[in-house]
Amino acid sequence: MTNPSSRNMELIDRYLQAVRFWLPRTHRQEDLLAELGEDLRSQIDDKENELGHPLDKAEMSEILKRCGSPMMVAGRLGPQRHLIGPALFPIYEFVLKMVLFWILVPVFIFIVGPVNVANSGGNWGLAAANTLGNLWSGLFIAAGIVTLVFAVIERTNAHLGAECKWDPLKLPPVRREERKPSLLKALCELGFGFFGLIWLLLLPQYPVLILGPAAAFLKAGPMLHTFYLPIVLLSIAALLRSAITLARPQWTWFPPLSQLLHTVLTLIVLNYMIQAIGKTPSAYPFVVLQDAVRESRKYFQLAGIVNVSILVSVASAWLGVCIAAVVQTWQFMRYLRKRTSGAQRTASIGAQ
Amino acid sequence: MTNGTQGGPEVLENLKLELRRGCLIVAVLAQLRTEQYGYTLRKALADDGLAIDEGTLYPLLRRLETQGLLVSQWREEDKRNKRFYHLSPVGEQTLTQLLEEWQNINQSLNKILQEASL
Repeated sequence: MTNPSSRNMELIDRYLQAVRFWLPRTHRQEDLLAELGEDLRSQIDDKENELGHPLDKAEMSEILKRCGSPMMVAGRLGPQRHLIGPALFPIYEFVLKMVLFWILVPVFIFIVGPVNVANSGGNWGLAAANTLGNLWSGLFIAAGIVTLVFAVIERTNAHLGAECKWDPLKLPPVRREERKPSLLKALCELGFGFFGLIWLLLLPQYPVLILGPAAAFLKAGPMLHTFYLPIVLLSIAALLRSAITLARPQWTWFPPLSQLLHTVLTLIVLNYMIQAIGKTPSAYPFVVLQDAVRESRKYFQLAGIVNVSILVSVASAWLGVCIAAVVQTWQFMRYLRKRTSGAQRTASIGAQ
Repeated sequence: MTNGTQGGPEVLENLKLELRRGCLIVAVLAQLRTEQYGYTLRKALADDGLAIDEGTLYPLLRRLETQGLLVSQWREEDKRNKRFYHLSPVGEQTLTQLLEEWQNINQSLNKILQEASL
């Protein structure tokens, strides 16, 4: 039969072995284990003196259970381990959000997505699946890189230098409260939108309004005919948007949301237009020569220049609208965040 | 009226833990004005009402030693190897300063509590 005392010591050794498994292998490991072992042996001695007999299995088990499971004890004994500490965490969180939601997601929505759509030969489902798949892995990779960079900064204490360099006098000024949409701005938008729509509606009958004197030898090409209706509809939508902003100024959510939707619709139309340009066999998609001057070499070259100019304008517009979409998404998200925090503030004031 | 999202025993436990954390360091330093090994130190603290588990005490002792406030040595006693700790000269100075700070905090807190009860 085993001596109770040696059985208890064996149990302690097994316990320490289990703790050792979870402790990081540093020079302190054995030192800590020796000290923990000595503590446990002292506890056993005390308990045995108190009870007047060697501890049985249940009493031993009680001491070790009170000490905690090996994994938990190792966790408490080991060094404090965090990848990014509390001092650096706020800026890490900010950068991570910035990179993932304000750079990567918009880039995928407004650049990678349309490119995938253009390359998919009209298969929208496949393009969307590819974009989402790429976005998913892109998010993981970007999050990993950002975390790695911050972990390195944390380990090298590089942030401590920056912490000492900040200047209170360079803090940004206090931001003013968000104002309701300006009445004058909405009125101007409505006025210009109205005249813009009239101008657009008159174009088929009076091409001189856009081509000027060149209307004598140029006329609208197939692309302008195809996209005339979507452009008119976009103008009507803009007009309606201005009218609603004017009629319902209390709908503070409406201007940023409708602006964003309008921009997204414009982007879709522009994407279609760029795709159609790529597929058209004609070298003159926007304007063509009038029948009367069809044979003139001089006007032929001029029509080419006008078409290239319009193409560059369309490409520039696409880029501008992409940037606008990113900015407006950010503005709308900021509006939502302010609204939520405002509501929470009101609720907490009401609760006091 | 309360917002019902915070409070309760969990918050109280966390606050008590925070309050104890700083006090424990002072208590450990004060106890180690006389040499002790881990288990007797733990027992002495528990007897005085400041129970501390192994997983908290030993890393704390290591930290205080690394900071130069304690010195330790392994020595045999009762046929067993034990690690004995005691305050270093720097630790003694630091303890004196910490106790002064403790007195100041105590006085300020008493003053605040008296003003609040008026």
